[in-house]
Amino acid sequence: MTSTAQTTITQADPEMRLLPASQFTIEQLTAAYNQTRVDYLVPMPMNAARLAAYVRVYDVDMDHSWVAVDGETVLGLAMLGVRPGRTWVTRLGVLPNRRRRGAGEALVRALLESTRALGRPLAILEVIKGNQPAHELFLKVGFRETRELLVMRRPPGPPAGAYAAACSASWLEKEEALDLLCASPVRPAWTNEMETYINAGDAQGLHVDLPAGAVGEGGRGWLVFRRQKYTLSHFVLHTEAGSPALVAAALAARLYERFPQMDSYIENLPAADPHLPALLNAGFMEVFRRIEMQRS
Amino acid sequence: MPDVLLIEDIADNAQLVKRVLASQGYNVAWAETAEAGLSQAQSSLPDLVLLDLGLPDIDGQTLVGYLRAVPGLEQTPIIAVTAWPEETGRAMVTAYGCNGYISKPIDVLAFIKTVNSFFPAS
Repeated sequence: MTSTAQTTITQADPEMRLLPASQFTIEQLTAAYNQTRVDYLVPMPMNAARLAAYVRVYDVDMDHSWVAVDGETVLGLAMLGVRPGRTWVTRLGVLPNRRRRGAGEALVRALLESTRALGRPLAILEVIKGNQPAHELFLKVGFRETRELLVMRRPPGPPAGAYAAACSASWLEKEEALDLLCASPVRPAWTNEMETYINAGDAQGLHVDLPAGAVGEGGRGWLVFRRQKYTLSHFVLHTEAGSPALVAAALAARLYERFPQMDSYIENLPAADPHLPALLNAGFMEVFRRIEMQRS
Repeated sequence: MPDVLLIEDIADNAQLVKRVLASQGYNVAWAETAEAGLSQAQSSLPDLVLLDLGLPDIDGQTLVGYLRAVPGLEQTPIIAVTAWPEETGRAMVTAYGCNGYISKPIDVLAFIKTVNSFFPAS
């Protein structure tokens, strides 16, 4: 690593410097990330390929992401996603034995300075519910809570719902799926924004139409998701007409009729999403919650 | 003695488990990633799999389904070894079809007891 670029942010630890993440290899960053998360509330280790994909899919800007070092020792890191009008604070972590010395706050303030320098008026983040030190830090530097988001999983298995036969379904390729996302009236979390699906390149969609009479008053709606090698993920649902519960049940039934062997996880579904009860009935379980926060 | 496949990404944890199980007479093979673990499971058909859920390449939960799809492993005991919060961890393990659950960091005596429970005749 080199040390030609570093921030001027005041730090509690006089030996600590902040260097741009772009000065490190993805392998170095992966090792640092895993070391900072070794005792994390929810185990989330990554290998270099997975972190590289994360950087690409979520528009992480390595020149505006930061690594805290003391000599040759990496103390912590924090990354910044950058999209038009907003940034996203992510992957913040400090080595367990170097916490409570100002590294975390220095990293977050560096990201906020990058946000200002990039001319982005809004910074967004998610913190795992129960991670009190991080939550308090984000409040301290000016973030405010906006909503709760759910992370959910569903093991492989056939559909649990009974609506598959009663609805007509259309499978949509990437471009059609992205068109649907454009029409969504609900602001998705960063992980499920349009840019994510464009970057990932693996978006698919499903549209269902429940005729009136066949299932109550009928309904119409869609699901956009990522079909990855081992999983279906990043679900966004929308009901165009009728009951969200019925539409979501039909979507889940059709989805798992087609992909019964696929493991599924949902990233950051708003806790107030009206499709949630149907997803739970379809076999999803909540595994943890995040608190979304913003600073403008 | 039974063959155990340990799928665990943290070397220190793997060394501990290997030492503990070797002392009980088990043959332990170690895979550091999910993909390596799946490959070893396909080739060796172990008698029991110890699976860390927090793997760096593929989530352990996802891997369970792929292990179950290997001919010969449909009924093989899979014990999840995880640092997930216990309530959530146990619920996930049950939902994904694992046969047992061990919390990290491991309690050595309880760990041995749990593994031995799958081989009552040994």
